[in-house]
Amino acid sequence: MSFREKSAWVTLITLIVLTIGFALHLPRPWTLSPAPSPFLFHVLVAAIVAFVAIAVIAHIVLAIFSPHDARAPKDERERLIELKSIAVAAYVYAFLSLGSVFTIHVGANQIGVGYLVLLSFVVAEIVHYAARIYYYRRGF
Amino acid sequence: MGKTRIENRIRRLRFDRSEMTQQELAEKVGVTRQTINAIELGKYSPSLEVAFRIAHALGVSLEEVFSYREETDEETRSEPRTKRP
Repeated sequence: MSFREKSAWVTLITLIVLTIGFALHLPRPWTLSPAPSPFLFHVLVAAIVAFVAIAVIAHIVLAIFSPHDARAPKDERERLIELKSIAVAAYVYAFLSLGSVFTIHVGANQIGVGYLVLLSFVVAEIVHYAARIYYYRRGF
Repeated sequence: MGKTRIENRIRRLRFDRSEMTQQELAEKVGVTRQTINAIELGKYSPSLEVAFRIAHALGVSLEEVFSYREETDEETRSEPRTKRP
């Protein structure tokens, strides 16, 4: 397994775990207070800091075990895989973020819609890294 | 994804050259070992530049490494065309 595939696995697993953790703290969009919640803000900041810290530490460890791979620039196949997986994620993000806006018509308030758009972005990133792994596993 | 119609003899040529490993060829060409493996298995068609670099690394002409197989009418009907980068 190449360094970049391992990197994609680390990012994917970290994103999934933190997203589930964050979503468990998130009330339903239509029950959120119209005023910003300091508690949710703290959970959000904690999730972002945890993501950055885990990603940095994991990549340092991966780079220690395969320094040559980590230093090597992306080759053409890896760049194409990246572009293809971003294209897949872009569709997911467009669909989910538009869907988030529509929830305003079923009772979600602005804060709820804001968090749903944020979750749409995170889910799109999960799809992005899952697609990368799929293409890496398949060859292209 | 089905195999491309571009065929190659990389594996054969590697073994003819003192059993060169995929990693050694990858380092000479400037791509990852996984990319050489994907090319060998026909899962990925390299760019013209990488194809030339592979041929150069193996010390042969491009035609000796890669060949383009014409699809038969039956293959054309039964298999969808493979997208290429």
